[in-house]
Amino acid sequence: MPLSLPRRCASVPTVRGTDGLLAARMSAGDDDALAEAFDRFAAAVYATAAGVIGAGTAHDVVQDVFVDLWRYPDRYDPDVGSLRTYLTVMARNRAVDILRSELRRIARQQRHYRLTPGEGQPLPGDDLVTADMTAAVRAAIERLPAPQRQVVQLAYFEGMTCREVASAVGIPEGTVKSRLRLALAKLETVLDRQLLESP
Amino acid sequence: MNVSNPALAPEVRARVLAAATHARAAGQPVPAVPAISPVEAYRRAADALDRTLATLGEDEWRRPAIRDLDVQGLLGHLTGVEEDVRRAIEGDPAVADAGHVESTQAAAERQAGRPPARTLGEWRDATGQTIALLDGIDDLDRGIALHGMRLPLGSLMLVRAFELWVHENDIRLSTGQPPSAPDPSALRLMTTLAARLLPSAARRGGLAVAARLRLVLTGNGGGTWDLVLGEDDAVEPPRLSIVADAVGFCRLAADRIRPADLAAHVTGNAELAAGVLAAATALALD
Repeated sequence: MPLSLPRRCASVPTVRGTDGLLAARMSAGDDDALAEAFDRFAAAVYATAAGVIGAGTAHDVVQDVFVDLWRYPDRYDPDVGSLRTYLTVMARNRAVDILRSELRRIARQQRHYRLTPGEGQPLPGDDLVTADMTAAVRAAIERLPAPQRQVVQLAYFEGMTCREVASAVGIPEGTVKSRLRLALAKLETVLDRQLLESP
Repeated sequence: MNVSNPALAPEVRARVLAAATHARAAGQPVPAVPAISPVEAYRRAADALDRTLATLGEDEWRRPAIRDLDVQGLLGHLTGVEEDVRRAIEGDPAVADAGHVESTQAAAERQAGRPPARTLGEWRDATGQTIALLDGIDDLDRGIALHGMRLPLGSLMLVRAFELWVHENDIRLSTGQPPSAPDPSALRLMTTLAARLLPSAARRGGLAVAARLRLVLTGNGGGTWDLVLGEDDAVEPPRLSIVADAVGFCRLAADRIRPADLAAHVTGNAELAAGVLAAATALALD
């Protein structure tokens, strides 16, 4: 006599939402999913990066962000937010990293020129990665409060150390550092706002 | 292309996609699971089943499992399969075309009235003998004929791993336990085998339409496969994409769920996709 069989298991995990599905497909190696993600979000990623570091270098940020997405799709958690937000945050962070790195490079180069006076010194800021990035950074610095603008110019464009800036301005070295931190935070904000105000 | 920002140079798309697939090849899943041999996949599936059996109370061995078998009879069936597998590996032609169910029915029926511990001990001995036999074989490509199948020994052991996992879940379902997923490394081998067999299953299922199928199985142990259905020389065959959970797809291939239960995401001809998924159930042995 046939036994009464248990009901078959119909429980199959489903991927929640379009963004989660895109990430799951990328994890599985589906490169069509990467192309779809690029077509949906590249413009937003690019605009975010361009707002921080200018249009030219922003193309490199777009590449970095999407290559990282493809290499590590599991880092995106659909429960935390949308893929668009995740990618634009990645783009902003990457662009800010580039900006900070560039400011440090300028400062190092200015110090080098001061210590080797025989060599021709380029105009401050001429070595920025791209002209549009230079313009964006300069415009943002011009909008800083005067005390912060002063220490940024001395530290990054005159190549002074924090101690030298403190001595030149007549303020404690700790104050120089805190003004630089504030200035950098404002630069990021101002550059982002420039993006939002652009047509 | 759907990028509206005119400042984003059009050539960036191709550059980015090329850089990405250079960093990780298309079709390669992440996180990568450690590669194991088919024999190891079988060994892990047997261990997982053994762990589930160890949890059973005396009365749970009498629960209905599949067909007309209770849990104890099902394990007897598996013991019978192990015996046929060993005979097939040793070249016994009698098991080449024997029925998978009929050939093992005696082993299933002889469990009736026995203490479950004896049934369990017999099955453990049988799997131990299979593993001992496999340990002495290096050539996993040698052809094996068993229960109407003709396939390399390595593939046969993957089919066996698949069967052990499926019946482990039959037992779990029967005894009120949640379903289990295969070991990810074993699952990767199982999904690869199932994907490779899908075009022939579709053909056997009567799907005559030519199509290019991208099968994407998500989750740890899944992957992406580009498969050709029907005749390869068709001019511009339609493209079809099926995205589904890897474990769910294996349950479908085991005929344990219906295509509608899989909640697959289909791009392309929905009717053709339904035919492919229905054909996948033909991979089941039971």
